[in-house]
Amino acid sequence: MDFGSLPSDLWLGLSACFTIKWVTILGIQVPIFINIFWCLMGALIGTAIGVLPGVGPVATMALLLPITYFLTPEGALIMLAGIYYGAQYGGSTTAILINVPGEASSVVTALDGHAMAKLGRAGPALAMAALGSFFAGTVATCLIVLAAPPLTKLAQQFAPADYFSLMVLGLVLAIVMASGSLLKAFGMIFLGMLLGLVGTDVNTGNTRFTFGIGDLFDGIGFVIVAMGMFGIAEIISNLANVTRRDLVSSKVSGLWPTREDFRRSVAPIFRGTVLGSLLGVLPGGGAVLASFASYSVEKKLSDTPEKFGQGMIEGVAGPESANNAAAQTSFIPMLTLGIPSNAVMAMMIGGMMIHGIVPGPQVMEQKPALFWGMIVSMWLGNMMLLVLNLPLIGIWVKMLLVPYRLLAVAIMFFCCVGVYSLNNLHTEIYFMALFGVLGYVFIRLGCEPAPLLLGFLLGPLMEVYMRRAMLLSRGDPLVFLQRPLSLAFLAIAALLLLFVILPNVRKARETAFQE
Amino acid sequence: MRIKSGQDFATGLLLAAVGIAAFWIGADYPMGTAQRPGTGVLPRILAWCLIGTGGLLLVKSVYSTGSPVGSWSWRPLLAVTLGTVVFGSMIDNYGLVASMIVAMTICALGTAETRWFEFAVFTLIMIVASWAMFIWLLGMPIKAWPTSLVPFIEQMLR
Repeated sequence: MDFGSLPSDLWLGLSACFTIKWVTILGIQVPIFINIFWCLMGALIGTAIGVLPGVGPVATMALLLPITYFLTPEGALIMLAGIYYGAQYGGSTTAILINVPGEASSVVTALDGHAMAKLGRAGPALAMAALGSFFAGTVATCLIVLAAPPLTKLAQQFAPADYFSLMVLGLVLAIVMASGSLLKAFGMIFLGMLLGLVGTDVNTGNTRFTFGIGDLFDGIGFVIVAMGMFGIAEIISNLANVTRRDLVSSKVSGLWPTREDFRRSVAPIFRGTVLGSLLGVLPGGGAVLASFASYSVEKKLSDTPEKFGQGMIEGVAGPESANNAAAQTSFIPMLTLGIPSNAVMAMMIGGMMIHGIVPGPQVMEQKPALFWGMIVSMWLGNMMLLVLNLPLIGIWVKMLLVPYRLLAVAIMFFCCVGVYSLNNLHTEIYFMALFGVLGYVFIRLGCEPAPLLLGFLLGPLMEVYMRRAMLLSRGDPLVFLQRPLSLAFLAIAALLLLFVILPNVRKARETAFQE
Repeated sequence: MRIKSGQDFATGLLLAAVGIAAFWIGADYPMGTAQRPGTGVLPRILAWCLIGTGGLLLVKSVYSTGSPVGSWSWRPLLAVTLGTVVFGSMIDNYGLVASMIVAMTICALGTAETRWFEFAVFTLIMIVASWAMFIWLLGMPIKAWPTSLVPFIEQMLR
């Protein structure tokens, strides 16, 4: 493996981040680091929505996708990435201070973090969460730097059949890792793939499932589906059960952890980073699973497992490191293979496609400044978050005073404007409303919308690769089994499916999710 | 025969129905050849998959216990959906401000918690902020005022 070009690549990324743009403010020409600015904006917005329960990174990224149209591709992706890891930092703040996990990934942080806050040790908990996240973020970013070039090289040798099988494997992994019913996850993926087929078939020019509606000939926009499912549907569901948030004002004093805290946190942070980095790469994994897994590992390894839930700093440091590491490494399959591993990465791909960039291994060669700029920005963003997060805690907590009844109205409006700004078609707002209702139905039925979104993105791609593979093999479907890579992917997928269908494994999986 | 899991049953029904519909609509899509698969291949495969998954869920709902569908919250569902649709129907002709006021008011009706004075102030802030952001800063081609009112306002300002 040749890493000789790494320094120059990183330098390219760094210079892409520090691109200077001259902006006229009040008649004066001012130079600003435009991409650093967007990175900061993304990180701050991410922290803000991370703090707010009921507003997740997926919905926010969907809301901001149309706006990124006005930025450069670098600025757009740097900001979108910032939202995701920013949300991991923000989620822990409210979890610790007021026992309200802002994100699903910080649910376990609330257990011991809030217990520490009650003991008057909110400061060390917050500091340790931030330091752990930063360490994990740094390691995970290094992993991306090291893993991306070889993986991209490998991906460039993929034949269409390999790609098809890889996507099958990705979808199967997403099903295996999804919490909840397997059958429902299957159904959601098939449904998403079917929705992805709506519109004109690029190969033959025939239209499919358009019902003669002209605005459907180009297919359903990804943003429309995402905003409906993650924006509108969430508002409906959250408005239905508005819970009062009582602001328990706990004084944050003595921010710095003690030597003892550091000693106890080092190992959990390391373990959390490793665990998170691994789980983040797998499709369907990501931050939520990583934090849960890390918590149960720390509890198992601890000498005093009974004390967990009463303010053990290990229970904060481990999961917080794990969720941030996973948030970073989940970029690896997206950046190198062009395959989204979760709903957030689906958003990133949506952001790329808005700027006319086809995701895949060619991005690294064709747009090196974008590729490396984004990676470098992640580390810079993590550093900014570490510096900014702790002093700004007061502001984040105040933000919780904005009641959800107002937030809901604002989110609905932003969804509408966002969709309208894409093509200035009011019919697309109607489609979004439709997907909102559909999304709410799925919430009521206990179906997760994330697999649907993955299917929606991957379905049309799989069709393209399947057709290419069949054309190359002169109509022989065995091509998927004859190429070694393709065969390996399919075999792993089949094995995984077999495993989850076997009843005893299924039971173990269920208990693992309950922990 | 009793249904033990309402969620599974309803999901199964939904998936199977979509699958059958997709099969029916896609019945005349050309299948092409093995070397050049046509428009109809993947829709047909997916239709079968959906019918199969739906069927399995229906069977499962009879044998294993699960969550019921539960009660629907019609008020937020109707209010948010209607607000969105109304925004869509107004934005072309009535401009941003009027659409915002009507759509946000309908949406606010979705919860009993809305306090109207607070909502009015918030709406005002939102209108100013979104005008500044979308029309002034980003220059989106969205009208601020109703099309028919624009000449009238121009006269007033002259």
